[in-house]
Amino acid sequence: MSAKERILQALQSDTPPAEPWQSRVETFAPDDLLTSFTTAWEGAGGEVLWLGEASKEAIALALGATTKKVVDTRHEKIDEIAPEGLWAIVEGVFGVAENGAVWIEPKERYPRALLTLAEHVVVVLEKRRLVPTMAQAYRKVDFSTLSYGLFLAGPSKTADIEQSLVIGAHGALKCTAVLV
Amino acid sequence: MSGAHNHARAAEAFTADSKRAHWHDKALWFVRQKRDKAVASVPEWEALRAEAEALKAHTRAHLGYYLRLFEERAKANGIEVYWAEDAEAHNQIVHRLLQEHGARRVVKSKSMLTEECGLNPYLQARGIEVVDTDLGERIVQLASQHPSHIVLPAIHLKKEDVARIFAKHLGTAPENHDPAYLTRAAREHLRQKFLEADAAITGVNFALAEEGAVTVCTNEGNADLGTALPNLHIACMGLEKVVPSAEALGVLTRLLARSATGQAITTYTSHFRRPKPGGRLCVVIVDNGRSGLLKEEFAQATACLRCGACMNTCPVYRRSGGHSYGYVVPGPIGSVLASARDTARYGSLAFACTLCASCDTVCPAKIDLHELLLKSRRRVIEQKPFHAKRTGLRMAAFVLRRPRLYRFLTALWRRLEGVVPKRWLYHPKNAWGRERQMPKIAQTPFRARYAKRRRA
Ligand code: SF4
Repeated sequence: MSAKERILQALQSDTPPAEPWQSRVETFAPDDLLTSFTTAWEGAGGEVLWLGEASKEAIALALGATTKKVVDTRHEKIDEIAPEGLWAIVEGVFGVAENGAVWIEPKERYPRALLTLAEHVVVVLEKRRLVPTMAQAYRKVDFSTLSYGLFLAGPSKTADIEQSLVIGAHGALKCTAVLV
Repeated sequence: MSGAHNHARAAEAFTADSKRAHWHDKALWFVRQKRDKAVASVPEWEALRAEAEALKAHTRAHLGYYLRLFEERAKANGIEVYWAEDAEAHNQIVHRLLQEHGARRVVKSKSMLTEECGLNPYLQARGIEVVDTDLGERIVQLASQHPSHIVLPAIHLKKEDVARIFAKHLGTAPENHDPAYLTRAAREHLRQKFLEADAAITGVNFALAEEGAVTVCTNEGNADLGTALPNLHIACMGLEKVVPSAEALGVLTRLLARSATGQAITTYTSHFRRPKPGGRLCVVIVDNGRSGLLKEEFAQATACLRCGACMNTCPVYRRSGGHSYGYVVPGPIGSVLASARDTARYGSLAFACTLCASCDTVCPAKIDLHELLLKSRRRVIEQKPFHAKRTGLRMAAFVLRRPRLYRFLTALWRRLEGVVPKRWLYHPKNAWGRERQMPKIAQTPFRARYAKRRRA
């Protein structure tokens, strides 16, 4: 008998449930999704930028990135990453009002590593694409086509030294949500 | 008590430095307060906890089914799945995978399971460099220590300690203990390790059966960066990590970070459903005593999300430090797990508890921690090293059940109190008296005073 079968035999819980498990918690939506989202995002160390139009040029100009390397994953194909001083613009599929998380899926259009190697990650999000809580968020993710995807809430951070919060651990040092 | 762990003895070094112990206590209480604030912003909090508890009970009842489903779906997504009955088998599988891949340098993100299995020393002994990339874990790794907390691995160290460790290993300025400076130095140092790595090992916060995917939560981004570069990602999970579907995450991700650090969510909540193009994604499912635990009265302990909230709130943990538990998971949940695993060895942990039940009220999975610790005590007291304790309790019970004997003995003690030398009373054999003092006995017993009052 294989290790798997021995473990499963020890567990003795092979019967499927009568019906699939479903969450029945009633969730309370924040009064104003947009305010709740921006407050949470900024609380997590992220910055917010309001733009009417989110072209690469408009974003670069608004963020003062003229001399920086900016890649726009919405239109450019990226194979190689030179992380030094790199800014990456990525599409945010939708945001979560209760905690400021944004769902991001590279979909093999750009390397997964871009999201952590870039010094500044700029997430473009349509402000009408907000859900109240994670309960609605997980119903929105399409797992059937997913390879790798994440909820990102601001720049990487750590408080491992005496509980002092330091922004910029291993991933992005800076993270901006561009709301259009 | 040879071979057995003694929590009180092990805490002595920590408690001797009362200033530091006080600081530790405060630092963790601060995290607990952050948790309270985050929790207050969610009106449905208690309903979420109840749901998490029910969800975990449901999953336990169909655990074998969900594990099979997870394997089937994960395989369909191109993920390789391996099963390990114990720590040794787990380490062997990981080592074999690394060997197949010719990997010499491995980056690892936080995983209490690999700590439990002793993976680092196992791989290092076989010539493989394993670098813990979570900042707190890297600090303790460089200091040749173990994490003292499951979420805040270096909470026992002060920034001056970290400055000293980094000066020695990373060449930072020893007198500069600014956390931002030290974190930046670690970022540079670890960035190099990430770029050189041949393989990445991560833990698993949740394994989604329906979707055949694994979810990893970090704040630092180390799991995402580590797995994005090399072509081999090994994800190690205890078999209790499986949940029915992503629907469950709609509950659990709302609870986890708020309970752990008071954040609304971790910075990165990442889902791996397929290996990256050209890469391998291998999941190792580990039993290592869990199936046994599930059959016992401690089954509920497997619902733990590893948030650390019970540690932050525990008056004993905060004042004794994580290392005093001598087990990979400290605090209330660690005491339950350790004493269930090896009652003879970790029995004293069942008593590292005031039964205040503060842990029960913060636990997002609503585990009845203090009840479980009480159950542990019942089991532990049967153990040989605890015979003296049991005899003491039996003697007390004998006397307390006999009012006349009790009256006679207290009257006797009233006469002897001033006469018996201190060194008899606090004889080294009297473990009770080591940290405690006998209260002064009242000259007139309560009964006598009461009787007098009624007559008056
Ligand atoms: S037992 Fe509960 S409070 Fe303690 S770490 Fe586990 S989930 Fe958190």
